[in-house]
Amino acid sequence: MTADVSLQSIDQYFGDFQALENINLHFDAGEFVVLLGPSGCGKSTLLFILGGFLAPTSGQVLIGGEDMSRVAPKDRPTTTMFQDYALFPHMSLRDNVGFGLRMRGQSRKARHDRADEMLDLVGLLDKANHKPHELSGGQRQRVALARALAVDPEVLLLDEPLGALDLKLRRQMQEELKAIQRKVGTTFVHVTHDQEEAMAIADRIVVMNHGKVEDAGPPEDVYLRPKTLFAANFMGDLNRLSAAQPARVGDYIECVRPENIGPAGEVALGDAILENAAFFGTYHRCHFQVLDEVKTSYVAHLPIGELPQVGDTVSLFASNVVTLEVTE
Amino acid sequence: MRILSWAYLAAIFVFIFLPVVVLVLFSFQDSRLPIPPFDGPTLKWYATVLADRNMMEALANSLLVALISAAIALLLGFFAAQGLSRVKLPGSVLMRGVLIAPMTVSYLIIALGLLTVFNNLGFRPSLWTTGIGHVVINVPLCFAILFAAMGDHQKNAERAARDLGASELQVVFLVSAPMLKPALLAAYFLAVTFSWDEFIIAFLLTRFDVTLPVEIWSMLRSGLSPATNAIGSLVFLVSIAILIILELTVFRKSKS
Repeated sequence: MTADVSLQSIDQYFGDFQALENINLHFDAGEFVVLLGPSGCGKSTLLFILGGFLAPTSGQVLIGGEDMSRVAPKDRPTTTMFQDYALFPHMSLRDNVGFGLRMRGQSRKARHDRADEMLDLVGLLDKANHKPHELSGGQRQRVALARALAVDPEVLLLDEPLGALDLKLRRQMQEELKAIQRKVGTTFVHVTHDQEEAMAIADRIVVMNHGKVEDAGPPEDVYLRPKTLFAANFMGDLNRLSAAQPARVGDYIECVRPENIGPAGEVALGDAILENAAFFGTYHRCHFQVLDEVKTSYVAHLPIGELPQVGDTVSLFASNVVTLEVTE
Repeated sequence: MRILSWAYLAAIFVFIFLPVVVLVLFSFQDSRLPIPPFDGPTLKWYATVLADRNMMEALANSLLVALISAAIALLLGFFAAQGLSRVKLPGSVLMRGVLIAPMTVSYLIIALGLLTVFNNLGFRPSLWTTGIGHVVINVPLCFAILFAAMGDHQKNAERAARDLGASELQVVFLVSAPMLKPALLAAYFLAVTFSWDEFIIAFLLTRFDVTLPVEIWSMLRSGLSPATNAIGSLVFLVSIAILIILELTVFRKSKS
């Protein structure tokens, strides 16, 4: 099952602290949405509001067009995959995965069949009779996913599920999550602070900061044509063009990504000297200093094999320049 | 040095177990006084004790009071711990303190307080009042053990259960209680042994139907006899049995 999600004018206060401010978002059915932002930006709060663990101070949550703002978690068509997995330690994997179906009054046979099917989906069918403590972190992760998907939710919420895994396993799990999401078609809402993870899996990224949505859209849009300076900075490295004067709030500045600076492009940056370069495997990260009065520096990522000598002077150009307002 | 440490170990065990060993040994004494020299063995004192109707009634009373009062204390302690660990109320810390405080009050004071209250309410001393007294002393114990065993781990699993559609009752019976099983069993058996051994409250709050410690006490007033050793050994046997059950069921499992 799958459903679209609408958040309408959501405000959330904790005492005097405003955790969320006027959140308006729409996710299409079957989309893989990633809520991205630094810690304390309100992304987990928003996820908890979606799951029903928190009632918004004001505003509405619509799932499949129905108002769910005040509906308890157990009556929502959502399930959550928690940060610490929260598996039931006294139950076998099969009983863990079948728990939601047991709550829905399904027969033992039916829920065991479904649990086996879900365990097979995550590649753990051979461990169906094991207890959670016999598994590795990555395996527990998969069981938590299977348990949340077994009840066929319309929306699956994932609260930083990959945070505890090492880098290699995290990349592998990202691919698996994406593949499973495509297979089941459920709307996924995934919270993370890792922008690479967001780009790897999302159909739509929502960048949040200080309880507000900074930008929302497909990864390419958010990365290449960010709406705010914060979103641009959070998604990756950024160079400011003509950075002579310090920028004030309200100024508009031109920005360009390091990989969009090179020996050819739309905007001439002038002659620059290569100060140093580091090899990053897929590119050289180079620091250039422009030979003019203000000595602007740029960081550029040059393709392998196109590295000038340190100390050489090159004509630099930029492409895909975006103009953004300074807000803080 | 090695010999010295072994000797020390032996001395400690002798110090702890000598009274029990002497008690058990002289329960098999043939003559009428449980004093050296040992001239047994015989089982006749066990026969005497087992044939003593008052004693057997007291034993049954004790078991009844212990099993039921411990169950009630466990239930109340579990609900209190569950509530206080889950919900942040103003004064949570104070409530926790007040719940545990009776542990620091001597049984004599608690017994006197209960006696006064029951007198004013017009309740006659009986097994019921003793049972209530034992619930009073065991609720703090059960609460403290269970509260300590409930962590974030537990809270998160309960939240996950609710998310998957469990009602509050299902959360308690299918998730909270099974996850706490070792702590629940430990608290229950401890409460049973505390009630089983308890003398002062039982002495002040019973009259005609008495518990075993009270019956033993009245038997002791008529002087020493190997029969008291025999009943003492039986009480000891019950405590040991509980300990072994506990070891085999609770602790072995939680280790694996």
